[in-house]
Amino acid sequence: MKKILVILIATSLFSCKKSLTEDPKGQISGENALNTLNGLNAALVGAYKPLSNTWTSGFATAALDATLMGSDDLTTHPGSNKQEFRDLDQFSVSNLNSRIFQIWSGSYKSIQGANNIINNYQLVTTNPNEVKQILGEAYFLRAFNYYWLVRLWGDIPMIKTAAYTPELSKILKSSPAEIYKLIEEDLMQAETLLGNTKLALGRASKGSAKALLADVYLTEGGWPLKNTSKIALAASKAKEVMDNKALYGFDITTPLSTLWGGTSAAVGTPEEVFALQFCPNCNWFNSNAIYGNSCMSSDENGWDDYFSEINFFNNFPEGLRKDITFQTVIKGLPWQNSTTGHPYFGKFRVNGGETTWQTAQSLPLIRYAHVLLIYAEAKARSGSLDASAYSAVNAIRTRAGLPNLSGLSDADFATAVVKERSWEFAGEWTRWFDLTRLEMVESANAGKNSKDLPIIGPIKYYVPIPASEVALNPNLK
Amino acid sequence: MLMYVNYLTMRNALFNLLNVVKMNIATFFSIKVCILFICIIQLSSLGLKAQDHTVNGMVTDNLGLPVEGVNVTIKNSTNGTITNVKGAYSIKVSRDGVIIFSNSGYLSKEVGVNNKNSLNVQLIADLRSLDQVVVVGYGTRKKSDLTGAVASISAKDFKDQPVYRIDQALQGRAAGVQVVNNSGVPGGDVNIRIRGSNSILGNNNPLYIIDGFIGGDFNNLNPADVESIEVLKDASSTAIYGSRGANGVILITTKKGSSRKNSIDFTSRFANSTVLKKFDLLNAGDFATVVNERNTALGLAPSFTTSQISDYYAKGGTNWQNEIFRTAPAQEYQLSISGGSDKTTYLISGNYLDEKGVINNSGFKRYSIRSNINSTITDKLKVALNFSGARRINTNTSGTQGKSGPLTQALAWAPTTPVKDADGNYITNDPIGSIFANPVALAYEQDNTNVATNANVVARGNYEFIKGLSLDVTLGADYQNIQGASFAGPSVTNNIPNANRSSGEYLNIQNTNTLNYMHNFNKVHNLNITAVFENQSLTFNGFNANANKLIFSNLGYNNLSLAAANGATAGYSKSTIVSYLGRVNYSYKDKYLITGSLRQDGSSKFQGNNKYSLFPSAAVAWKLSEENFIKSTSLFDLLKIRASYGLTGSQAINPYSTLATYLTDPYNAATSFNSSSVTSGFVIGNAANSNLKWETTSAMDVGIDMEMMHGKLRFSADYYNKTTSDLLLSQPLPTYLGGGSITKNVGEINNKGWDFALSATPISSKSGFTWTSTFNVSLLQNNIVSLGGQDLLFTGSNVGSGLSTQPEFVLKTGNSLGAYWGLKYLGTWKSSESAAAATYGAKPGDSKYEDINNDKAINGSDYQIIGNGLPKTSLGWDNTFQYKGFSINVFIQSLNGYDKLNYTYGSAITANADARQATSTDIQNRYIVGKNETSDIPAFSASNKNVIQSTRFLEKGDFIRIKNVNLSYELPKNLIKKASVKLFIGAINLFTITKYKGIDPESSTTSSSNDSVQSIDYGSYPNAKRFIAGFTIKL
Repeated sequence: MKKILVILIATSLFSCKKSLTEDPKGQISGENALNTLNGLNAALVGAYKPLSNTWTSGFATAALDATLMGSDDLTTHPGSNKQEFRDLDQFSVSNLNSRIFQIWSGSYKSIQGANNIINNYQLVTTNPNEVKQILGEAYFLRAFNYYWLVRLWGDIPMIKTAAYTPELSKILKSSPAEIYKLIEEDLMQAETLLGNTKLALGRASKGSAKALLADVYLTEGGWPLKNTSKIALAASKAKEVMDNKALYGFDITTPLSTLWGGTSAAVGTPEEVFALQFCPNCNWFNSNAIYGNSCMSSDENGWDDYFSEINFFNNFPEGLRKDITFQTVIKGLPWQNSTTGHPYFGKFRVNGGETTWQTAQSLPLIRYAHVLLIYAEAKARSGSLDASAYSAVNAIRTRAGLPNLSGLSDADFATAVVKERSWEFAGEWTRWFDLTRLEMVESANAGKNSKDLPIIGPIKYYVPIPASEVALNPNLK
Repeated sequence: MLMYVNYLTMRNALFNLLNVVKMNIATFFSIKVCILFICIIQLSSLGLKAQDHTVNGMVTDNLGLPVEGVNVTIKNSTNGTITNVKGAYSIKVSRDGVIIFSNSGYLSKEVGVNNKNSLNVQLIADLRSLDQVVVVGYGTRKKSDLTGAVASISAKDFKDQPVYRIDQALQGRAAGVQVVNNSGVPGGDVNIRIRGSNSILGNNNPLYIIDGFIGGDFNNLNPADVESIEVLKDASSTAIYGSRGANGVILITTKKGSSRKNSIDFTSRFANSTVLKKFDLLNAGDFATVVNERNTALGLAPSFTTSQISDYYAKGGTNWQNEIFRTAPAQEYQLSISGGSDKTTYLISGNYLDEKGVINNSGFKRYSIRSNINSTITDKLKVALNFSGARRINTNTSGTQGKSGPLTQALAWAPTTPVKDADGNYITNDPIGSIFANPVALAYEQDNTNVATNANVVARGNYEFIKGLSLDVTLGADYQNIQGASFAGPSVTNNIPNANRSSGEYLNIQNTNTLNYMHNFNKVHNLNITAVFENQSLTFNGFNANANKLIFSNLGYNNLSLAAANGATAGYSKSTIVSYLGRVNYSYKDKYLITGSLRQDGSSKFQGNNKYSLFPSAAVAWKLSEENFIKSTSLFDLLKIRASYGLTGSQAINPYSTLATYLTDPYNAATSFNSSSVTSGFVIGNAANSNLKWETTSAMDVGIDMEMMHGKLRFSADYYNKTTSDLLLSQPLPTYLGGGSITKNVGEINNKGWDFALSATPISSKSGFTWTSTFNVSLLQNNIVSLGGQDLLFTGSNVGSGLSTQPEFVLKTGNSLGAYWGLKYLGTWKSSESAAAATYGAKPGDSKYEDINNDKAINGSDYQIIGNGLPKTSLGWDNTFQYKGFSINVFIQSLNGYDKLNYTYGSAITANADARQATSTDIQNRYIVGKNETSDIPAFSASNKNVIQSTRFLEKGDFIRIKNVNLSYELPKNLIKKASVKLFIGAINLFTITKYKGIDPESSTTSSSNDSVQSIDYGSYPNAKRFIAGFTIKL
């Protein structure tokens, strides 16, 4: 027995030294994660993810509507659980608002993933074509996210590396001019690197990058940069997309009822220049929750998150597009008799009014209609209004069931296109930015219908940087 | 058996372990057969040494109750017997012999035979604890010789209380130990702290050592198997556990069989539990009226017609609380058989517990079995084998709290909405109340079951080379397999039912080798040296599979393939710790005692030189009661003062924390690029810090122990002061850097306080009435000394997800853990203040908050520390009254000096998160312009802002609770021949005194593994009031 004990101790003494080394089986760690094409691909998937992490980050919930609620097409319930929505509609938002935080965090998390690829793609020395495509998408994503951030917050931290260093947590804000410079550079990289067509419905292509760049140029021509030299670039960049629409696989989808049918036929149409895709059957957190319940009245078991302001509806030109855009009969009663007394957005209902928040509809963040209307507006604003500009806007009006525009002055044409944009993209994350770049927020909010929520104000063009970020980095104050 | 276990350490494999278990069971039964033979042989050998005279008699205590198990021996002889359950004995002895009656807990008594045939003896209880031996780390000591602060609880202390899990025995019985049932769900989380919280990042759970096995899980333990619990509190006691000792150590020793006494115990308990109380919610008629009043105030059309409202008043609506709560039964059966011979003892015990929870469809079951065998093989060699197995089944005991739990939703769903439609299907959309799932469907259409199967083997050999020098080798293996299965049905998932299965196994292997030398030089110098080499490894392996949009939802988690989409994850982790330690105990003339210890630990979780650390400690004690000037007064049985200082550590981090790893799970990284599939990817996880090292706690303790009046009065007091430095903190990173956190060694936290323990026997009358009472007080002051140069650090807490937007808790230097962060609520704006209100965009009747920077806006810069959730005082008062066969136990517990942020109430009185209406009756007392302008409950107004994270919902949590009342009656012995039978009835949580408005001040939405979150309540599972009846039969 004595011997056995001694042997036991001896074996255990010898076996221990080596065991203090960690072997992290099953974990991916460090930059080596990106040194294969597969690794680079997985990192790119991860860079897209924060744009649509349902209820957590990104664009796939009504947090997006809340953030843009200062525009004249969107409003919300005056009571209920909509306090955070109301705060934005009434211009009394605090930096505690969790809805704007979802846009902020989704964009920056996506930027981190894009930076990781941009910083480390050289680790893969094989498959140059595939690497170019991945890198191009990374540049596209970085630009896309900074574009959202700079338009909503103005001065923001500019982060170009994925690796954490303590100095970054004390970084100062960069001005919109600096941010726009990076956005342009990134998109020029992206349009060169990317292939002509999307590798999957939810990804970006050369055409997506050009369309986004056109949008960026048009915005740079307005507030706050007011760099009017960019407007002509907007027109020419949009034209590159239009000229190559067959190559890129883009076009407008007709009839309009298909685009807003709320069924699978509306997913993956040529109209999607850049659109997030969803698979609720895969996971609840891969759902598009901005459609469905969010846009529906509580009278039919919806959530009343967002619906149309009354004047916006009243001024909307009658016709096919108005009928498709709005739901005016709610549970058999005219909208005036619904609990909230407002018209709702019919275009975001799914499967004929199914009460669900887990929808599989794609979420187009850039449509081909954007490209056409950017072109039309930019042509007029850069003093080169011609028949091609008329045919661009009239393509949209024709689909909407409206007569063609003709014989307008440059200024009247531009104004008409801006109106056209507000109707075509009603409730669609475009109007607020038109109002800010054209400094129309005040006029659009003047003379609100008495049944809509009054402005508490003061009117601001930017939303506050989230309190939790300011607490961690007081330089963001 | 030793060899089996060593084989196991080499192969590390489950199947081997199972084989071992099987073999152990086989071995156990063969040993049991041997024991039976040994018993027979022994009994017959007693008969051979016949004496000429037989004496019969009874042994009773001062109450006249029979004393079982008394050793009845003949002086100057090896012959003897023991008393049976009736206290009766029979022994052959010479007519002029002397019989010695002895039993632990009683003073021994010698009685001359003097020709008598019958001798009835009354034993006097020995209340002194001087010779009591207590277990300490890697050894045992006489209680009176302890130099450190150790609280000791024996099975006797809680025999009159129904103990379903061992924390109930600890609660209120040891000064300095705080036990809080933060979840009232059966088998749920319990928060146990010894002298406060030292770590912010790491968990502050004590280290559990069960029969020498480090890191045992008390959830697997059957309380009926427990012989004693020792709580090591100061550094001199815990430094011997080095890097795992900082949170205190709880040593649990299980029962052994008694030699020469075979006994069978059977206990059965039945119970019924009900929820402590319910919220006052609006009935359907009042609710509809209030909703219409709100609509009018906001310019909306009414939601209910007058005829609908009168209908609700006439017919009533849904009482959602009644729909989810129930009277929950519980039953428990306990059987133990024990006994043995001079050489070998055995104990075998089995237990079955089935407790239902007060929320429908929740509950806990436990099956456990144990066999403890001890054998003296030769004079020098002793072996022991403890085997235990347990299977625990938790159903819906997690995920029941917070925003999406049935309780919160029961407070959010409108009483005007029925549970089911005309077809008997759950109504899934509440048109007026909550936007989340039906509370009843949440209870019944979700199944979240965890089955944990545990096998623990501790084998031990002790060899004495020469007198005083011995080697003890312990090999232990703990295997835990956790099978998870969950299902969420169509009614709670928007018709996308999903199911999940998970499988995980934890294998914890330990080898401890202890060399011990004891010697007494010249009868004055007493020396005890211990040297230990120990290593331990913990390996986890697991995987998880899920299915979404089940095609046949009725198949639940039993069929994952018939689904629209499947996913899978897998995980592995391993950590190792290697330790060398030594301890010297020296005493001079049993008056002056010194202890010194040193441990070196090496851990795989750290890099380079940070892997190793040293943990020294020293303690001195002076037994004043051994000095003549005290001895001569005869006042004290024991008077001892002691002081100690030492360092202990905490690893506080998980394996691989020093490495930068990516998140690869679907939630964080799987993206859909089309509407029929997801593509997996990865995102950057937390930032890495390869320089992490242990947290180190330096602790001093001074204490005094007193015993007077032959143990009728005992008192202990301790003052301690502990500082934890190199505090591991998880610093949140800005979201613009991708969020997450980085772990750093920064900061310092201090805990100081007092522990007092008083135990007394105020009444012990000749008539047979006794009252024994123990009282504990723990006073604690926790203070964050430094945060590495920062003044304020946010925790990542997000208890009120959807309800609040900021972390509820902050760390601030000069404050204690558990500081609440929020707005200060100043009531409503009153009609005289309309101008001031307007500067905030508010109107009279709207909420008014303190605007710290006076910028006329209420935002993040107006947040401040508004309270604290960490209890500062805990009290326990245990009383036992005995008269004849009756015994009454009354145990009172109290926690004081803390606040609770009552999100549950907040979500019932405001429209917030998923709740669109107020349901609490308090809403009827709101501010109403022109009618009720004094109320501080805000009016219905589009400009009002309800911030739940504010003092409006902060309440004092202080409570005094009758935790246990138990009445037991032992049937007179002449009623039943061979058995003793005890009947009992009792109640748990019978009565609570508190001002807290929620259901239960004790339960909270916290986890025992994170102490930066304290006492907050968001639909937490309340503790239940439980009535119990049962009986014990002893043969």
